[in-house]
Amino acid sequence: MAYSVLFGVFTVLMMIGMPIAFCLGIASLATVLYIGLPPIVVFQQLNSGMNVFAMMAIPFFIFAGDLMVRGGIADRLIRFAAGIVGHLRGGLGQVNIVASTLFGGISGSAVADASAVGGLMIPQMAARGYDRSYAVNVTVNAAIIALMIPPSHNMILYSIAAGGNVSVADLFTAGIIPGLLLAGALMITAYIVARRRGYPSEPFPGFRKLAYYLLASVPGLLLIGIIFGGVRSGIFTATESSCIAVFYALLVALLVYRELDWSGFVEAVLQAVRTTAMVLLVIGTAASFSWLMSFLQVQQLLVAAMSAISDNPIIVLLMINVILLVLGTFMDMAPMVIISTPILLPVVKAFGIDPVHFGVVMILNAGIGLNTPPVGTVLFVGCAVGKITIREAMRTIWPFFGASIAVLLLVTYVPALSLWLPSLFR
Amino acid sequence: QEITLRSADIHPDGYPTVDAVKYMGQLLSERTNGRIKIDVTNNAALGSEKDTIEQTRFGVIDMNRVNAAPFNNLVPQTVVLGLPFLFRSTEHMHKTVDGPIGDEILAAFEPHGLVGLAFYDSGARSFYTTKKPIEKLADLQGMKIRVQQSDLWIAMMEAFGANATPMPFGEVYSSLETGVVDGAENNWPSYESSRHFEVSKNYTLTEHSLNPEILVISKVSWDKLSPDDQKLVRAAAKDSVGKMRELWQAREKDSEEKVRAAGVNVITVDKAEFADAMKPVYDKFVTDPQMKDLLERIRAIN
Amino acid sequence: MSRFLQASRPVLGWISRVSLYLSGIGLVAMTAIVGWQVFARYVLNDTPSWSEPLSLHLMSWFIMLGAAVGVRESVHLGLDFVRHGASPAAKRTMDLVSLGLMVFFGLAMTWYSVLLAAGTWAASIPVLGWPGGVDFFPMIAGGVLIAIFSAERFVDVAAGEHTAADIIAQEVV
Ligand code: NA
Ligand code: NA
Repeated sequence: MAYSVLFGVFTVLMMIGMPIAFCLGIASLATVLYIGLPPIVVFQQLNSGMNVFAMMAIPFFIFAGDLMVRGGIADRLIRFAAGIVGHLRGGLGQVNIVASTLFGGISGSAVADASAVGGLMIPQMAARGYDRSYAVNVTVNAAIIALMIPPSHNMILYSIAAGGNVSVADLFTAGIIPGLLLAGALMITAYIVARRRGYPSEPFPGFRKLAYYLLASVPGLLLIGIIFGGVRSGIFTATESSCIAVFYALLVALLVYRELDWSGFVEAVLQAVRTTAMVLLVIGTAASFSWLMSFLQVQQLLVAAMSAISDNPIIVLLMINVILLVLGTFMDMAPMVIISTPILLPVVKAFGIDPVHFGVVMILNAGIGLNTPPVGTVLFVGCAVGKITIREAMRTIWPFFGASIAVLLLVTYVPALSLWLPSLFR
Repeated sequence: QEITLRSADIHPDGYPTVDAVKYMGQLLSERTNGRIKIDVTNNAALGSEKDTIEQTRFGVIDMNRVNAAPFNNLVPQTVVLGLPFLFRSTEHMHKTVDGPIGDEILAAFEPHGLVGLAFYDSGARSFYTTKKPIEKLADLQGMKIRVQQSDLWIAMMEAFGANATPMPFGEVYSSLETGVVDGAENNWPSYESSRHFEVSKNYTLTEHSLNPEILVISKVSWDKLSPDDQKLVRAAAKDSVGKMRELWQAREKDSEEKVRAAGVNVITVDKAEFADAMKPVYDKFVTDPQMKDLLERIRAIN
Repeated sequence: MSRFLQASRPVLGWISRVSLYLSGIGLVAMTAIVGWQVFARYVLNDTPSWSEPLSLHLMSWFIMLGAAVGVRESVHLGLDFVRHGASPAAKRTMDLVSLGLMVFFGLAMTWYSVLLAAGTWAASIPVLGWPGGVDFFPMIAGGVLIAIFSAERFVDVAAGEHTAADIIAQEVV
């Protein structure tokens, strides 16, 4: 009964459009009052939920991403991507995906990716006769690559939610092949759709220019090496790497490209506050919500229910994927990772599934959820940048969803795609 | 009426502390014909040790099994228990906490909204390192050793000559693996259950601290119990101690075997050399006469 | 009543801007501290023990002040599809219920954070040495701000005005 208060109040509040941070907090408060516990615990857990060092990666990576856009790092990555794949059919779609992959290698956030790459690419694509919906579809799906290729603050969150003994360095490494696979699948899909619609291609700039573009984007690309190398060699932790990314982006923007001035810096800071403070509050109130789920022993009920349905790992993984995809439609990424990891990880472990592998599956699932309404943050950002409605974007998004889900199934059932690369480092 | 006491623990199923509180619940249930039960919520599902201490004080949950260290900033008397090389042996520690000194420390919880019920074992903490094994005190010099975020523990690592590196427990595994830190320290069971032995294969038996675990009940819940029930709860807690020590020894042996089987290099050292380096810690933390007296009385037990 | 509201509008706008800037300063300070932590540990081999608790404390301020500004600027991390299909009257009711509950939640946050601060005052925070209750200061302030800004928007919705915010933040994460 008490858990129906918890979930019932949460659902109703979400329906009437209350910000999710408050839905989680008020549902927890209502439940605590219902069962007669001191309400103080809701706020104690909110405070503890905010006091997690790893969470700092979220504002830092978003801040760094914004500095990269304002400081000229993102433009140069896109120009380089245009040089490599612009001459293919539907070239700007391909450019968008390659640019997302490169930017994803230096940014930990899909939203930063969608607004950075989308902000620069969607207007260009529209001007060259691409449908806006196509431009948005490509942008928002390609943005998910940023979650898979290191760095990724959601991988850090997963490791924390998993209780800490899943190596973040391994998670970072494990995401690389699935991320590239997703990039490949999206490029093929974008190509097929572009052929059918007769989208143009761009002239090849010649190797000389391409070499120049590469050279100009080297300072940005170096960050991939710095972050990945720094974490793997123990100079800093994965959480700290987000802070290093801020320093590096500042350094490149101020000293190399010299495109960032004081007001640009202040705007980047305030933008980071605006975009992340509310997300972190969601994580805080999600901690109260999870505490109540533990107190009411909801997790145990779910594990029992799931084990009763099947004991076949293939079926269990399929069920978990379906659950995560459904949860992903109405939950944001961070609260979803934080809430569902401690519930589902014991189940998958019981079926002999590696926690690193499951982390990749979880992040990819939650990533796809970023593009599914009613709560699809990356999709919303893409639509806002592309100036189209969600309905318009949804009408043509299906081939791209198909590609993402195909990759998800592949990653789910071929553990080696995730686990082979980290095994090389042991 | 029926009473179910909710108790928190951070450790996984089957850990001696978890099973000991469950055993206490069993005793209580038998002695009251099922009227009083204990429900243990473990795995840190209700939060960190610090969180659950507050929850117990505010009466959100009834009981809590926590290490003595997180109580240090609340109940000053607990600081003494964690002092390095204070206890000469496990027997010395048992004699201390089983006697009047133990009761005195448990009683010190009362002004802080808690009632101390019993001391449990936590074994001896020793160092483990990734690349360089610690064979003598000088080896620790400049090593980045992860410690709990606690003044006492930071001071202790500094006195050993190490670079004390406070870090959340959840980041330790990765940090050992990649080399952010060179080592950490813990008892056999935690070294094993955290899987830290997979990424740091040198275990040096410094056995620098025998800081025990403490079982407490909320003053709020305590006051709701009748005097007779209070006696029953206290007795069951005391009676679970023997069982806990049995479970602990078995677990310690089991963990040690597992870890040794995984190819860990176990090193014995001259502990006196390490103990001698600890004077600055005693100078810094044993300052008021009350603590000095407590310390002297503990040392006098033989 | 409406005159009082008009007079308070600039004050609320000012509070919100100050909160935003303080939150931003918090972010910059966190960056500096964590950067120093890496430098001191790796280069100087001398890990500062204060860097983690201090940056965490700053993050609490960053979150509470920034989220309160988010409430005023109606950064919506919510579900909009039911609201979208509803009639204007129903929409208005939904908004009033949701903002009213947010006022209540903000006040509850402040009240219980005061109790938490009082209850943990005696236990000092390790390393920093501050009284334990200081941990809850950001929530005490944040709760008040959330309540004030939600109340401002509640009044706006009730009066049929659009929104109180100076800037509508369109970007969400
Ligand atoms: Na990334
Ligand atoms: Na979604």
